Amino acid sequence: MKRREFLGGAAASGAVLTMPAFLSGCGIQQAMSVADKTPENPFMEWFGVDQATTARVMSELSANGADAADLYFQHSRTNFLTLEDGIVSSASSDIQQGVGLRVVIGEQTGYAFTEDLTLPSMLAAARTASAIASGSKVVAPQAFSALGAGDLYKTSVPWSDVGIDQKLPLMKFVESQAKSMDEAVEKVAVYWADQDERVMIATLDGRLVTDHRPMTRVTVTVTARRGEEVQSGYSNIAAREEFGWYTEERLNTMVTEAVDRTMVLFDARRPPAGEMPVILASGASGILLHEAIGHGMEADFNRKGVSIYSDMIGKKVAEPFVTVVDQATIPRERGALNYDDEGNKAGRTVLVEDGILKAYLHDTISAKQYGLQPTGSGRRESYRYAPMPRMSCTFMEEGPHTKEEIIASVDRGIICETYTNGQVQIGAGDYTFYVKNGWLVENGKVTAPIKDVNIIGNGPESLKRITMVANDARLDTGGWTCGKNGQSVPVSQGIPTVLVSNMTVGGENVG
Amino acid sequence: MSVDLKSRAAQAVEFAQQAGAEDAWSTASQSRDVQFEYRDGNLEKVKDTTSQSLGIRIYAGGRYSSHSTTDLNPERLQDFIAEAVAITAALEPDEYRRITPEALFRNRPGDDLDLVDTSVQALEREQRIAWCRALDEVAHAHGDVISATSGVYDGTQRSASASSNGFLDEQQSTYCWFGASVTLRDQGDKRAEDGFYAGGAHVADLPDPDKVGQKALARTVSRLGSEKGPTVKASMVVDARAASSLIGRLLGPANARSVQQNRSFWTPLMGEQAFSKTLTIVDDPLIKRGLASRRYDEEGISARALPIVQDGIVRNIYVDTYYGRKGEMKPTTGSPSNRVVTPGSHSLAELLSEVGDGVYVTSWLGGNADGTTGDFSLGLRGHMIENGEIGRPVGEMNVTGNLRELFSRLELVGNDPYPYSSTLTPSLVFSGVDFSGA
Repeated sequence: MKRREFLGGAAASGAVLTMPAFLSGCGIQQAMSVADKTPENPFMEWFGVDQATTARVMSELSANGADAADLYFQHSRTNFLTLEDGIVSSASSDIQQGVGLRVVIGEQTGYAFTEDLTLPSMLAAARTASAIASGSKVVAPQAFSALGAGDLYKTSVPWSDVGIDQKLPLMKFVESQAKSMDEAVEKVAVYWADQDERVMIATLDGRLVTDHRPMTRVTVTVTARRGEEVQSGYSNIAAREEFGWYTEERLNTMVTEAVDRTMVLFDARRPPAGEMPVILASGASGILLHEAIGHGMEADFNRKGVSIYSDMIGKKVAEPFVTVVDQATIPRERGALNYDDEGNKAGRTVLVEDGILKAYLHDTISAKQYGLQPTGSGRRESYRYAPMPRMSCTFMEEGPHTKEEIIASVDRGIICETYTNGQVQIGAGDYTFYVKNGWLVENGKVTAPIKDVNIIGNGPESLKRITMVANDARLDTGGWTCGKNGQSVPVSQGIPTVLVSNMTVGGENVG
Repeated sequence: MSVDLKSRAAQAVEFAQQAGAEDAWSTASQSRDVQFEYRDGNLEKVKDTTSQSLGIRIYAGGRYSSHSTTDLNPERLQDFIAEAVAITAALEPDEYRRITPEALFRNRPGDDLDLVDTSVQALEREQRIAWCRALDEVAHAHGDVISATSGVYDGTQRSASASSNGFLDEQQSTYCWFGASVTLRDQGDKRAEDGFYAGGAHVADLPDPDKVGQKALARTVSRLGSEKGPTVKASMVVDARAASSLIGRLLGPANARSVQQNRSFWTPLMGEQAFSKTLTIVDDPLIKRGLASRRYDEEGISARALPIVQDGIVRNIYVDTYYGRKGEMKPTTGSPSNRVVTPGSHSLAELLSEVGDGVYVTSWLGGNADGTTGDFSLGLRGHMIENGEIGRPVGEMNVTGNLRELFSRLELVGNDPYPYSSTLTPSLVFSGVDFSGA
C-alpha cells in the first residue's frame, strides 16, 4: 500500500475512533538485504532455516511456473486455563508449527504444507504444491528483502514469560467479583487464553515479512438461580495485548457486564414476532456490518460473480451519512494485522463512503484479476490453509444523530445489545444475527428486557433502511472469530447507535 | 503413512513419567488430506497434505494438564513434555482429575467396523478430476448459472493412544466426499445459492457424481424467486438434512459438563418423559462404515450403543470421566459418535400431505439456542406447504421457541434418514410453531 493512500485513510477516520498510535504504525516499508541480516534474523533462527534453504524451497515451488508463490512459516503457542467450582485445575497448551507452500497461476492454486521443517520434507511439499502448474511459464525467484516490522501490537513481555502463578490470581479475582455482585449467582467459570504467534512469509517476488502476533482473551460465565429458574450469561474481552492489559478496572467491567446480562434474563421475554424497526446499540452491533455487507465485499465472491454486491461498485447503497470501513491498522485490536498472511501491508479499506459502494477486500489473486493493488486482506487460519480475502476490524463511522433521538423516534420496536453469532448467504444477501440481550421500545421509550431472538434481513435492503446513525461510535472489546470456508480468523467490529427501519425479528405470541 | 504411531504415543508417556508424572495418556495422530476444486470448467485448487500431531494428558501430584504439538522433533518433544509436567505443578489439586480407569477400556469391541477403504488411499489425480468434471457439467445444466464450484475431498486419518495404565490401541478411517455449490441469477442483484455433497468411508458407498450434481442444481433452482414468508403459527416439516442440525442443537447441552456446571436444560429431565413419544435417539458408535464410528472414544472408553432418548424418555446423556466423577454420574462417553434418530414409516410426500398447510424447512440460516433454558431462535429457508404439497420458496424467516417444548410437539417422523451426516435423522414434523416473517 502506498504511503499517500495510507495517510489519506487515517485522516478520514481519525475523528471517529480513537487510534492514538495509528500514524506511528504507518512506516514506509524499509527494505534491507537479508544477506546482511540473516545471522540476526530471529525468525529464521526460530524456524531453523536460513536464506539459502528458503530460496532452495522457493525455487522448487516455482519450478513449474507461477504468477505468485509463497512460503508461510508459522509457530504459535496457545495457553489455556480453566477455573470452575472455585479452582484452577486444568491447563492446556497447544503448539502449531509448520510451513504452508502455495503456487498461484491465474485463478489456480496449488497448496501443500509440512510440519517437518527439514529441507527434504519442505522440498517434497513444494513439489506437491507445484504440480498444479504446467511448466509453461517459469519465473526466477527474486532475492529476499526483509520488510520493516510493524508496531501495531508490540509487547514488552511475551506470553511465554508469563507463568500460571501470575494468571491464577486474576482468574480468582474475576470469580470472587462475580460471586459478590449478586446473591443469586450460583456458579462462575473463568476461561483464560493467551497466544504468541510468529509468522515469516517469503514470497516469489522477494518480500520477506516477519510478524510477532500476540493475542489474549478472558471469558467469564455466570450461572444464577431464582427458585427453580436457572439462567446463564457471559462476557469476554480480547485483544492483541500483553499481561499488563488486564487491569482490575478492565476485569471489573467485564464481570459487571456478565452478571448484568445474566440477571436481566430472569425478567426478559421474547418480543412479538414479525417486522419492526430495530435499533442497534453501539459497539457489538457491528455484527450487522460484518454480515450484511462485509462478507459480500470480499473480492473472491465478487470475482466469481456470486455475491449480491458483484455489480454494485460506484452505486448508491445507503444514505449519505453511512460510511463503512474495514481497517487492520487499529493498534492492539483483535482484528489488527501489520501484514496480511500473503506478506502485503495491511491497511484500511473504505467499503461504503457517504452511502456509495467503494471497494472490495482483495487478496493477491482477486487484486490481479481486477487490476488493483491488494488491500492487505489475504488471511488464513494457519499454515494448513491457503489465504483468501477476509475482514479485520469492520466498523461504521459516526453519523449526525444521537442515541436519544433514535430511541425517541421508534413507536414499537427493539434495541439489540449483545450477540452470540451471525451468518450470511452471499448471493441472496440474506443475513442473520442472534440477539442474546436487548430491550423493547414502545412509544419512544425503553420499556422491558428481551432475550434470545434471531434477527434476519437482506444486506442491500438493510443498508438502504439505515435511517439514522448516532455520534457514539465504539469498537467492541469482545473476542469475535469469523468463520469462512472452514477457516477461523480473529476479527473485531464496531458501530455507533443505528436505526434500521425494518427487519424481521424472531419472537413469540404469533396470532 | 508408515510411521509407528503406537510407539510414538508410548514414548511420549515415557517422557512424561521420566519428568515426574504419575500418569499420562498420549495420542499420536497422522492424516493425509487431498482436496480438488473445480470451477466453471477449470481446475481451481489442488491441496495435498500430510499432517502429524501429538497430544498428551498429564496427571502429576493430584494435578492435571493437557498439551498438544505439531513439532515432533524428538529432542524438542521431550523438552515440551518435561515443561508440561513442570507447568502442572502450578495448578490447584483436583481429586476428580484422574486417568481413565482400566475397567472403562478393558473390553473394547474388535476391529470390524470396516472404516478403511484402500481404494480411497489409491485414488489418482485423474479419477478426482473426472469426478469434478462430471459434477461441474451437470451443475451447469441451467441457463442462469453464474458459477458452480465442484469439489472432491478425500483422505485417511490414523491415531494411536497409549497410557501409563496399559492402554495401547490404534484407529484408522478413510473418507471421500464430493459435491457442488451452485449460484444462479435471480431477481435484481439477488443470486440463488445452494448445493449438495455426498460422502462416506468407502468409495463404493458414494452415489453417482451426476446424481449429486443434479441434486445440487435442483436444490438451487428451487430457491429461484424466493420471497419473505409470513408471520404465522403453523406446522413445520423439517427435511432430513436440516433436521440433522436441529437434533444437534437439541443434544448440545446433553452432557455431564453442562449439567454439572448448571448450564443445561436437560438437568431436570433425566428419566422423565421430556419429549414426544415419537422421539427415539441412540448414539451408536458401532455402525459399519459409519461416518463417526469408533471402537473407543478420546478417553479410551469402550464404544457401545447408548440410548439417549427412548420414546421421549431421557435415558442417558454424554458423560466423560471428569465431569462424571464430579457430578456423580456414571461415565458413558464424553463425545457423540453416530447419533441415530429412529425413523418412522412415512415418506416425505406423505408427511407433507398429512400436514396440509405449513412451512417446509430445507436449511437454516444462523440463529442459536440457550443451552441453559432451551430457548432458541433460528433463521430458515424453505417452502410454504400448500394443500399438502411443496409450494412457493420462502426465506428471511425465523422460527422461535423452546427446544424442549418443540420436541414435545414432534408429531411425525419420516422414513428418509439423511445418510451424509453422522447425525442420521429423517424428516421431522412439529405442530404449533411460531414463525416470524413479513
